Amino acid sequence: MIDQQLAEISNLAIVVTIVLYVLALIGFAADLASTSQRRGDERLAAREEQERKAARATQPAVLAAAGSGGTTSATVDGGPGSSSDGVESTAGDEAHSGTGPATGAMSAQTFAFILSGAATMLHIVGVATRAAATQRVPWANMYEFATTSTAVVMAAFLIFSIKRAELRALGTFVVGPVLLVMLLAQTLWIVPAAALTPSLQNSHWIYIHIAIAIVATALSILGAVVATMQLLQGRHERAMVEKAAAGEEYPEHWGRFGHVLDRLPSSTTLEGLSFRIHSVAFVCWTFTLIFGAIWAREAWGRYWGWDPKEVWTFIIWVIYAAYLHARATGGFRGNRAAGLALAGFVAVVFNYTIVNTIINGLHSYSGL
Amino acid sequence: MGTDDADRTNPPEETDKTLNSTRTSDSESGRTSAAADSWSSKRDKDGPRPAKGGATPPALGLRGTGRFLWRQLTSMQTALILLMLLAIAAVPGSLYPQRSVNPALTDQFLEENGRWGEILDTLGFFEVFSSPWFSAIYLLLFISLIGCIIPRLGVHLRQLRAKPPRTPSRLTRFAGYTRLELPGADADALLERAQRSLRRSRYRTDRREETASRSVSAERGLLRETGNLLFHISLVGVLICIAGGQLTNYRGQITVVEGNGFSNSLTQYDSFESGAWFDAADLPPFQFTLEEFRAEYVLEGADESRVGQPLSFEADVAVTTPGQEQDTRTLQVNKPLHVDGASMYLLGNGYAPEVTVTDPEGNVVAEGPVITVPMGDVGYTSQLVIKAPDASPKQTAVVGFFLPTGVIDEQGPHSIYPDLVDPQLALTVHQGDLGLDSGVPQNAYEVDVSTLEPITGEDGTPVLVSLAPGQFYDLPDGTTVSFDGVRRYAAFDVAHDPFERWVLVSALVAVGGLILSLFVPRRRLWVRVSEDDGKGGGGGLVVLEVAGLARSDDPTLTDDVKTLADKLAASQDGTRHSDSAPPDAAPDDTHEGSAQ
Ligand code: HEM
Repeated sequence: MIDQQLAEISNLAIVVTIVLYVLALIGFAADLASTSQRRGDERLAAREEQERKAARATQPAVLAAAGSGGTTSATVDGGPGSSSDGVESTAGDEAHSGTGPATGAMSAQTFAFILSGAATMLHIVGVATRAAATQRVPWANMYEFATTSTAVVMAAFLIFSIKRAELRALGTFVVGPVLLVMLLAQTLWIVPAAALTPSLQNSHWIYIHIAIAIVATALSILGAVVATMQLLQGRHERAMVEKAAAGEEYPEHWGRFGHVLDRLPSSTTLEGLSFRIHSVAFVCWTFTLIFGAIWAREAWGRYWGWDPKEVWTFIIWVIYAAYLHARATGGFRGNRAAGLALAGFVAVVFNYTIVNTIINGLHSYSGL
Repeated sequence: MGTDDADRTNPPEETDKTLNSTRTSDSESGRTSAAADSWSSKRDKDGPRPAKGGATPPALGLRGTGRFLWRQLTSMQTALILLMLLAIAAVPGSLYPQRSVNPALTDQFLEENGRWGEILDTLGFFEVFSSPWFSAIYLLLFISLIGCIIPRLGVHLRQLRAKPPRTPSRLTRFAGYTRLELPGADADALLERAQRSLRRSRYRTDRREETASRSVSAERGLLRETGNLLFHISLVGVLICIAGGQLTNYRGQITVVEGNGFSNSLTQYDSFESGAWFDAADLPPFQFTLEEFRAEYVLEGADESRVGQPLSFEADVAVTTPGQEQDTRTLQVNKPLHVDGASMYLLGNGYAPEVTVTDPEGNVVAEGPVITVPMGDVGYTSQLVIKAPDASPKQTAVVGFFLPTGVIDEQGPHSIYPDLVDPQLALTVHQGDLGLDSGVPQNAYEVDVSTLEPITGEDGTPVLVSLAPGQFYDLPDGTTVSFDGVRRYAAFDVAHDPFERWVLVSALVAVGGLILSLFVPRRRLWVRVSEDDGKGGGGGLVVLEVAGLARSDDPTLTDDVKTLADKLAASQDGTRHSDSAPPDAAPDDTHEGSAQ
């Protein structure tokens, strides 16, 4: 039977999780903003320095941070390169974050990272209590599927970026979508905790098939984030190179967002990461497909019936196969392949939303 | 394996056959640039060399003479485009109702959309997955696939037997390049040791004599390509098994009332479909009786919104298979019954009220359980139709509803709960020509009452016969309807696909191959030992060089190279002077992240 108390704890945990994600998102975004601010200041400082040099100014310029309490003030005595480290941000936070020297206080990014760690813990607690309340796996309807898979996304992101600190800069782009899905789940898809309908009972395949589908979905989300960053980074890099080639000493591209990109790993690194994520995702989708077919055969007496949900899982699988192919095909590598990865993600989203809610099929017991 | 493709599409550009006939650096654009560079630089260097003994090039000449079209069809680009087309072509199959999945919905769509529906229908939008255009795409894809596999298979088999390629003359540009000077070391022992150690780590190795040095060239990870081939071959296997299943499978629907039996023969099925090669003699001769069907629903007083939702369905059947004792089993949703050569699935259920109809002349014209069709509401309001063509003076049809928990209010008769709390029948009786003799086959669960005359009461409106179990009703014309009791029925699908398990096996082999193909690192390692550094003296300074090259993301390669170098050095007694890698050595991008 349903344990109402646990179910309420679960609901509460999810709501608090959402609040924490909002805070974490603000933290990550503030970090990005401050980076770009700092970058802007650096460039400005460097340019002024140039002008000053040109004017043969003899006095060393002192750049004090206006509102920051002036913890550091740098004497610019070298070239632009050496000046950059000492210039404090006018934003007022000590956001040298991952890259800068430790200033004692916590950077916005570290703050956001720790906060999202806490939020993810709570998120997992929310999912687990839901499971305990219903005494079954927490993925029998869209609300549960959404909350569980976003928990997996966050966990995967945190695990990836514990070791590779530079990936933390992607935080905004991971927490943002996760938050969006959580909000949708909380507002549109929420249903009371309940037992399973008979069509979902008696089968181990519900655990296996859906668990893998959740991991696959989570990886697709992460992969799409990385592929998007890769595409943007690639453009940005090209533009920067062109500008540099055109003789600009301090090339600027896409303003603040460009500064954010400057901090992210190179498009080549992102491409490699995207490929790694997508290849695991593809294996997971393959298993989703196979286990789904086994389950369908146990439940409906046929392993494949072109039910809309099956059709879309097939489409997702084919698109990701095309992505992996494209990576090995002349003329499709890089950007075009990344485009296919994103197309795969669009199919995932479609499968997840439209197919569940609007298109009528055998899978529409999903609880809406 | 971009190379393989390049082989076929641009033969002149592809010169390196010995290195690797099926893959190039192309496929790892995302990899750390240094390693990718070195892979291709290796190609450039090796390129002009005439191919040597063991490593015969793939038969480019043979394939080169192949027709242009064939090459186009089997190129990676075409495969890619066909894959994308396949994905796109599948979309309408989910947006429009499909006849094979939901015929009723398809008909409804056609009715509502008139001309537009007809156009779509001619174009095959309601049978997407058997339409000519969908079939054309996947058939072309698989022809392309086969055309792609066969040459690659040959190349790969040859490569498996070939020796690892020659050690590049300059190792400095490769991953993890390590150079150690070992005074007084024994070059032969060093090389021997290197080879043994690499062999133990499952590298294929080859000793090479060079002008001023000797080297071991080692290669590992051909399993990657094996896996890739296995994956693609298994895909063909999956398709063949699916096709085999289409030809030999069968599937039939039956409806059985509690207490009744079924024996597996064509005549017993309500509906039956089978593949072209199916032979009715293959139906396994099993029989069963439905002893009891149980359903549980969410009770009143529980979670409001879910009252009446089903909790479980169970069917107890007594099965007899030839040569075996009768055996009672319980079927549930997701728990089919498997007998030799067939599986039986519990897919539906409903109520079969027992009704007796007596005509005005006193003859019993209908008797026994009547299968009713649930209308899909939570309360299981079910439609009932009884046709009594033998009734006199006029043929009679009884139509109406069976209500497990009946309420008759301004909404008309309906049921508010699916279980038998207050079972009721709400019927009207009609008379006239049932049209059963017209020769047009009729649905047993439907009757068109518009051509019939309802039996009316004194006020001229049709008589509503409302009955609880055990009650009967005498109509004004003398017809009697009695409600004798309620049984449940269960609907089963019996199906068999002899190829099913082979589809599964092929699919699992495919993922196995896929995993190998994606995650086995393919790499080469070289160990070069050169004695004496120019001075000519007998001091015997031995220079040890180790470097590696990965074909794809391979974060551990650099470490492995260094470990091997250290291990070899440690095995020698002499003191050693270790140079750090020269500036142009491949930086290890993959590790830069952890530096922060
Ligand atoms: C039935 C359709 C096909 C599917 C679903 C499919 C799927 C895949 C997948 C998922 C991969 C990535 C795994 C890996 O890197 O080994 C792959 C790789 C590959 N496929 Fe296919 N494939 C299909 C048809 C073809 C065809 C027709 C060709 C020949 C033109 C082909 C040639 C290749 C090659 C050469 C690779 C290796 C790419 C690399 O080096 O990474 N495939 N395929």
